[in-house]
Amino acid sequence: MSAATLDKAPPKAKPRLSPLERSERRLGFILLAPAFLLLAVVVLYPIIELLTTSVRFYHLAQPWMGTPFIGLEHYARALSDERFWESTLNTVLYIVITVPGAVIVGLGLALLANQPFSIKWPVRLGLLLPWALPLVFAGLIFRWFFEYNQGLVNNALGFFGIGPIPWLTNPTFAFAATCIAIVWKTSSFVALVLLAGLQTIPKSLYEAAEIDGAGKWQQFVEITLPMLRPAIVVALIFRTITAIQTFDIPYAMTNGGPGHSTETLAMYIHKTTIDFLDLGYGSALAVLMFIVSVIATTGYLRHTRRDPRKA
Amino acid sequence: MAAVEIRSVRKSFGRVDVIHGIDITVDDGEFAVLVGPSGCGKSTLLRMIAGLESVSDGEIAIGGKVVNDLPPRERDIAMVFQDYALYPHKTVAENIAFGLRMRGTPKPEMEKLVREASDILQIGHLLERKPGQLSGGQRQRVAMGRAIVRRPKVFLFDEPLSNLDAQLRAEMRIEIKKLHQRFGTTIVYVTHDQIEAMTLADRIAILKGGYLQQFASPNTCYARPVNRFVAGFIGSPPMNFAETDVDAGISRLSLGQGLSVPVSPEARQRLQPAAGRRVVLGLRPEHVKPGAGGPSSVPAGVELVEPLGSETLVLLRLGDALFTGRFPAEAGLKPGDTTPVDCAFANAHLFDPQSGQALTA
Repeated sequence: MSAATLDKAPPKAKPRLSPLERSERRLGFILLAPAFLLLAVVVLYPIIELLTTSVRFYHLAQPWMGTPFIGLEHYARALSDERFWESTLNTVLYIVITVPGAVIVGLGLALLANQPFSIKWPVRLGLLLPWALPLVFAGLIFRWFFEYNQGLVNNALGFFGIGPIPWLTNPTFAFAATCIAIVWKTSSFVALVLLAGLQTIPKSLYEAAEIDGAGKWQQFVEITLPMLRPAIVVALIFRTITAIQTFDIPYAMTNGGPGHSTETLAMYIHKTTIDFLDLGYGSALAVLMFIVSVIATTGYLRHTRRDPRKA
Repeated sequence: MAAVEIRSVRKSFGRVDVIHGIDITVDDGEFAVLVGPSGCGKSTLLRMIAGLESVSDGEIAIGGKVVNDLPPRERDIAMVFQDYALYPHKTVAENIAFGLRMRGTPKPEMEKLVREASDILQIGHLLERKPGQLSGGQRQRVAMGRAIVRRPKVFLFDEPLSNLDAQLRAEMRIEIKKLHQRFGTTIVYVTHDQIEAMTLADRIAILKGGYLQQFASPNTCYARPVNRFVAGFIGSPPMNFAETDVDAGISRLSLGQGLSVPVSPEARQRLQPAAGRRVVLGLRPEHVKPGAGGPSSVPAGVELVEPLGSETLVLLRLGDALFTGRFPAEAGLKPGDTTPVDCAFANAHLFDPQSGQALTA
């Protein structure tokens, strides 16, 4: 090839696909199409619908008003809505308390379940059961546990001469009780994720550490925790996303009370749309919650990109 | 440095006995290799020395001190694992320094020792990398670095080369031997590869089914195997075996299919224990050679030819027996040929057909 023809060659020529590669690519798109279509129907469409509803007046109790476009009015209303801020603060508190709580309890359960028991199934069943229970059911169980007169907790505390404590009628205690229920319910899922992570750690690492002079605690800090980091991050992401949406357990235990002390953002959205029939404002609140979810998830995902086993 | 004494050691997992009373004393500074087929108990024995498995019965002493009840970290040993067991989230330097750090070594000294160990193993340029970025051979070196940095009393190696390719294995074998010469530390090394055992060991302990078969120098194991198992396990290609009836005068050996091989007068002395009985005859491939065509030569059918460059291994049919012979590189044989063969029975080994015990000294 002469220098002249080289000069003429376009600097960034796309590599030409062979007919085989082209037909493979086409097949790939065809195979992906059903999944994309399904996603569009169940994810994309509702999000667009939510966004459009949030910028309209849409109140089912005032059908004569129609659904006029009102811009960002709902968002402005949310920012000055005290109940919005209160429920957001509660949600943040639920996240800050129950996510680490579930990870710590879950880690303990996972370590326990990872012990060489001769019969494994009761341990595994005990681990799975809280996870398999419906959320509302768990909420009802704990409402009964924390009941003032006949509740299990006050009964037990009575043996030690403590109480009775107004678990579900005092704002602080009610918040604590719902947190305990949420941690109990969610730590089993965290434990399952962490147990899977624990089982990928080679036994020889612990043996090497033992010969190197590390005690049990040092083995935990030097090997288990760092090796478990990817699993912990996955558990944190899942747990945080579900914590942002906390609804069922406080709903079943306290219905957001006393006052609004255990009301979460998800519950406020539910009340706004289902109880007060204000779909427009409810949608705006839901969009705000969605934005918080996306920010939290992106933050975590950035972390996961770093694999501790590599550089 | 220290001797390792294994006294009547037994091990059972539940009701399964895996080691049935083994006595081995590895002298101070000795390189001992435990070798045997899979499931012979060699790794279990090593792990008992390390303290990673409990001892069911008997005693293990390191440097004269019984260590049965001591945890691994108090035995002053270092171990190199088959899968290297490097901490994947730590750098090479952190991996090597881990044992020192756990023992509270001051930082400047720790850095000096890590630097020394990495220089010896030529991994100084890898100190900041993580194990995931290293090749198999480099990981092996790091694992050895982690072992030597502490200068323990005893090194334990659990099949350290089995994950490497043939060329690297040969290189690392030399490296390990050099390390032993440099430090003179007692080494107990487990392998299933008899070539590793032969090339590395001062003494080889050959195990089978949880029993010690022989504990002796490589040359002794090769030249004077105590039984048929050791004879067949040590040596590559393995020893040839044939069951044969020997007449009282030891003039001929019958190898089946009407083939009877003449025994030279000088070989008669060697075959004396076989006079008038049935024995298992063992003959190393180097003692099955191309025949000169004299009266001692017997015709053999060529079944398979394996050229190795420096020599050719030829699988020969002699009566009912199949013998491998070492032939010159340019043997010019092909399957189906018939060729005269000389068997040097003066070097033969004789074994009892039932017990497998050696009859020759």
